[in-house]
Amino acid sequence: MTEGAAPAPRIRVWDVPVRACHWFIVLFVAASWWTAETKRMDWHRYSGYALLALAAFRVYWGFFGSSTARFSQFVRGPRAVVSYLKGRWAVMPGHNPLGALSVLVLLGLLLSQIVLGLFAVDVDGIESGPLSTYVSFDAGRVAAEWHEELFDALLWLIGLHVAAVLFYLLYKKENLVGTMLHGMRRFPGAQVTPVRTASWVRLTVGVVLAGLLTWMVTRA
Amino acid sequence: MPAKLFRSVSAFVFTASLIAAIQAASAATPAELQKARHDHYKELGEAFKAVRDASKAASPDFAALEKAAGIVDKASVDQQQWFPKGTGPEAGKTRALPEIWSKPDDFTAAQKMFSERAPKLLAAAKTKDVAAVTAAFKDVGGACKNCHDTFRQPED
Repeated sequence: MTEGAAPAPRIRVWDVPVRACHWFIVLFVAASWWTAETKRMDWHRYSGYALLALAAFRVYWGFFGSSTARFSQFVRGPRAVVSYLKGRWAVMPGHNPLGALSVLVLLGLLLSQIVLGLFAVDVDGIESGPLSTYVSFDAGRVAAEWHEELFDALLWLIGLHVAAVLFYLLYKKENLVGTMLHGMRRFPGAQVTPVRTASWVRLTVGVVLAGLLTWMVTRA
Repeated sequence: MPAKLFRSVSAFVFTASLIAAIQAASAATPAELQKARHDHYKELGEAFKAVRDASKAASPDFAALEKAAGIVDKASVDQQQWFPKGTGPEAGKTRALPEIWSKPDDFTAAQKMFSERAPKLLAAAKTKDVAAVTAAFKDVGGACKNCHDTFRQPED
């Protein structure tokens, strides 16, 4: 951008469901962590159910949602990651090839963590996930141990994710947090297409499906 | 019975009981007692899960529920024998804290809370009243927590 020239226009990159999903996941991962550490297991279960609904919706939105939310739009092969790292990747709204990997790993870990929690049983057999009635005490204990181990992995990856965002902010002078909050980003010197949002019908279907799944799991 | 046969049978019985007695005496190493305690608590955990599973089921298996509540009730009395001296951290890896043996009165009181509440769970299971079972389960769980808060090392 040259001195005095009008700044590049703000382009919408993320739609509301993607942003809401992201920040609610942040909120409920923190809540799950805190409720587990302080042994508030009723609230830990509720927080887990909220994450189940959010993760289920995000997967749905990855297939039927806005253009930048779709896996088909942002999941690319290793070659794309390499060319992105070498700086040979055109700027465009949505996840870059490396960021896409982070999304996949984080979402995958979150889903695994949720599923393990559903089957987990505590050492006393008193607290348990809603699907633990379908497994033995021993299997439930294994799920609980993995639930604990995997959380450490999740924390490390969240740390990496935040470090990458900080790297963009401090080194590349790109405020990705702001973009995830208001959805807008400037692309100086590049012609880009804004996000193509999905219809209200699709949103409603996704919310209903995620809610239904969560309801069925919790009352199982 | 011919005398010869009688003698060999008595010799056999005598030897067998002697072996059994020696085994019984030598079985009581602190590490083995500790292991036995851990096994007992695992069984108790399984019983708690069974109670919880049954109380949450759409059509509860009341026979299984009563059986599990019976195990809990029996354990609530038996556990008063599960902590002989010397079976703390000095005997091997355990979450049993030294306070169990240094504050015996408090520990006994905590154990009593369990043995007082567990019969109510069994009684509720016998009445086949799921709401009563759930309430009694919560009550017994409170006794578990009460003791664990002071006498069991928190998980790392």
